[in-house]
Amino acid sequence: MRTHFSRSAFIEGVRDMLPMTVGLIPFGIVCGVGAIAAGASPVAALAMSMIVFSGAAQIIAAQLLAAGAPFAVIVLSCFVISLRFLMYSAALAPYLKPVAHRWRNLVAFLLTDQAFASSIRRFRESSDIRANVSYFVGGGAVLWLAWQIATIAGILAGAVIPASWQLEFVVPLCFLALLAPLLHDRTALIVFAIAAIAAIALDSMPMRLSMICAGLAGIVAGVIADRVLGRSATTEVEPGN
Amino acid sequence: MIVVVGAINFGTRLSFIALFARREMPPLLARALRHVPAAMLTAIVVPAIVFAAPGELALGAGNVKLIAALVAGVVAWRWRNTLLTIAVGMAALWLLQRFVG
Repeated sequence: MRTHFSRSAFIEGVRDMLPMTVGLIPFGIVCGVGAIAAGASPVAALAMSMIVFSGAAQIIAAQLLAAGAPFAVIVLSCFVISLRFLMYSAALAPYLKPVAHRWRNLVAFLLTDQAFASSIRRFRESSDIRANVSYFVGGGAVLWLAWQIATIAGILAGAVIPASWQLEFVVPLCFLALLAPLLHDRTALIVFAIAAIAAIALDSMPMRLSMICAGLAGIVAGVIADRVLGRSATTEVEPGN
Repeated sequence: MIVVVGAINFGTRLSFIALFARREMPPLLARALRHVPAAMLTAIVVPAIVFAAPGELALGAGNVKLIAALVAGVVAWRWRNTLLTIAVGMAALWLLQRFVG
């Protein structure tokens, strides 16, 4: 098995990701608070953060658990909300072809919105796959560690934080920070408009199926817009940070 | 439940990395995938800010979350900085709640 570790790139990944963890901490706290509020034990809440490592899925699971939803509904909802990882996986796939299985699995486990957003450009621009993977893993490891610390903070101090702070508003803000820089051409604006209208119109669908349906509506609109406007407008998978 | 949800998450994350490790991606799929980030992020963000309560659409100036998100969106678009976006968005929400709400 070829080695895919570059110490300097790993450290660079750690360093670049540190500012991002500040935004992740409130998100993780919200998840810890949510799990406890849903009736999970502190150990289960932490285990969920360690294994699932996905804020959106954890929040949905906690909300549905608190609402007394059946097991199958919780699992299906988490699957639906995790469908966005399909796109990250697909976008990274061409670059990970030469990488050993063990490292591919590690990249997959550490694949998050933030890790993807901050490393995709590097994967595109540099052919040093060994350094790229190490960079990704360095950033991913920092995020994972920060996520556990934040969850513990949420479990311990959650009840102390007043509801009027509306800390959960950090969650859409995090995604907004990734979304807004993408809206830089007409095609992207059409995708945004159609997905937004669909998300509102379909909101009453069960299990938050509206999310993936609205996403698909936006994607179809984007493909059609490409055809109509000519394919000159390329929507880069290149969020800020 | 935790293990099942964890397995699902890992599965979706690995899916295409494993699938396209050996073969080429169809061009139409590759083009469609370029739109996925904007489409999915919109589908995640919009419902979280336009509903005052579950099922209660609020697109007016009375919806402090919507106004705060618009302010944060402009900041995100202009400066591409996650921390700044979160800080401005939360500050806007708190201020609006104090003076408007």
